[in-house]
Amino acid sequence: MDSISDNALMLKVKDGDLDKLGLLFERYRKILFGFFYNMNHDPGLSEDLVQNVFMRILKYRGGFKGDGEFKVWMFHIARNVGHDHYRKNKDRETDEIDNWKDKLGDDQMNREGEIEKGEDLHLLRRVLGRLDKEKMEVLTLSKLEGMKYKNIGDILDCSEGAVKVKVFRALQALKREYMHLKERV
Amino acid sequence: MDTKDLINKYRSGQLSSDEEKMLDRCIETGEVSLEELDDLAALKNNFDAMPVPEPSQNMSDAFYANLEATKQKEQRPKAEGNWFSQLWVTQPFLRWAYSVALIIVGLGAGYWLKSGGEDSDKLENLSAEVSEMKEVMMLTLLDKESPSDRLKAVNLTSELPDASAKVTEALLQTLNQDENVNVRLATLEALYPYASHPQVREGLIKSIALQESPLVQMALAEMMVALQEKRSVQNLEKVLKKENTPPEVRERIEKSIEVLI
Repeated sequence: MDSISDNALMLKVKDGDLDKLGLLFERYRKILFGFFYNMNHDPGLSEDLVQNVFMRILKYRGGFKGDGEFKVWMFHIARNVGHDHYRKNKDRETDEIDNWKDKLGDDQMNREGEIEKGEDLHLLRRVLGRLDKEKMEVLTLSKLEGMKYKNIGDILDCSEGAVKVKVFRALQALKREYMHLKERV
Repeated sequence: MDTKDLINKYRSGQLSSDEEKMLDRCIETGEVSLEELDDLAALKNNFDAMPVPEPSQNMSDAFYANLEATKQKEQRPKAEGNWFSQLWVTQPFLRWAYSVALIIVGLGAGYWLKSGGEDSDKLENLSAEVSEMKEVMMLTLLDKESPSDRLKAVNLTSELPDASAKVTEALLQTLNQDENVNVRLATLEALYPYASHPQVREGLIKSIALQESPLVQMALAEMMVALQEKRSVQNLEKVLKKENTPPEVRERIEKSIEVLI
């Protein structure tokens, strides 16, 4: 992913060439969808949130200065979109998680299970639902294609080293939950 | 403790809380990488390998529909602007209409400002004060010894919007008593605009008999004709009867009397 060219495209969008946003959308639609999907495991909702991110990019395009990476700026917006959604739907959040857990035990889980063919992965999916949002977020960001620790640090407003520690702690928490669930199975 | 020992202790799950903090620091500084912690590395690999479905075509369709809608929304005001500027260029009368409208608005605003409000009252008070000052100055200058000062005083009356009785009285007195002929002639001229006032007219008629200067006598005779003042005939005849009246003046006065009668 060429960041310079991302910035060049976004600067054109800023100058009124809105069609160039289509190119950025094509480059990042899957990555953004993956970011939201890993957080909520709801494909429909993730698609809506991706849509909101691009509409916000369009609305606040004047604020893009081009001095940082477009990807980092976009993920700042994506995080805000995600937070706004979860804040608005806080009451329903527990239901969603429950639904998600149910879903994991049902069709989707079985369908993916056929592809994944592994009990460990099977369990891992169930464990993820128990992880808090911050840990989930840093793990998801570290998983995304082309995302470096430095980029994540820029997105989360912390140093590269601090990101490594966050990922380390998130993985430890994941492992604890994993072991706990494994013992029960 | 060296990092290898630290990692080994971590693997065996025997880290003290101080050692845990140390491991945190080592990870932060990059001395220990996450890949070296096998269990977590494996977990991370599993997590990273978790498949994510493809977003549907609906997402792309909705995005491009929204983008198109935004483009149209932003272009509309521009198009309206272009339509107006085209009209502006192709219809010169619009420019004229605009100019005329601006003038009308300007005049209206001027009239409105002039006719009403506190400001106009203040302005009126101010100009009344200025007139009063000029009047005082004029009366003071009339008492000066220098004829040029007295001439200035007489000329000042032309700047007064409406002379008070005090001013006209002072002017009549100057006309009758001032020793300088030029000052008296200027005074006569200054009094002419106020000749419609009965008191001024009366004063002018009386002044005919009091004048010694032929120039002033002739000027007065002409003014009486201009004013069609028949009551002045008696006084003009008095001038004729005077022995020292020059023949030119006499002739002029006789003509004036003829016109007036």
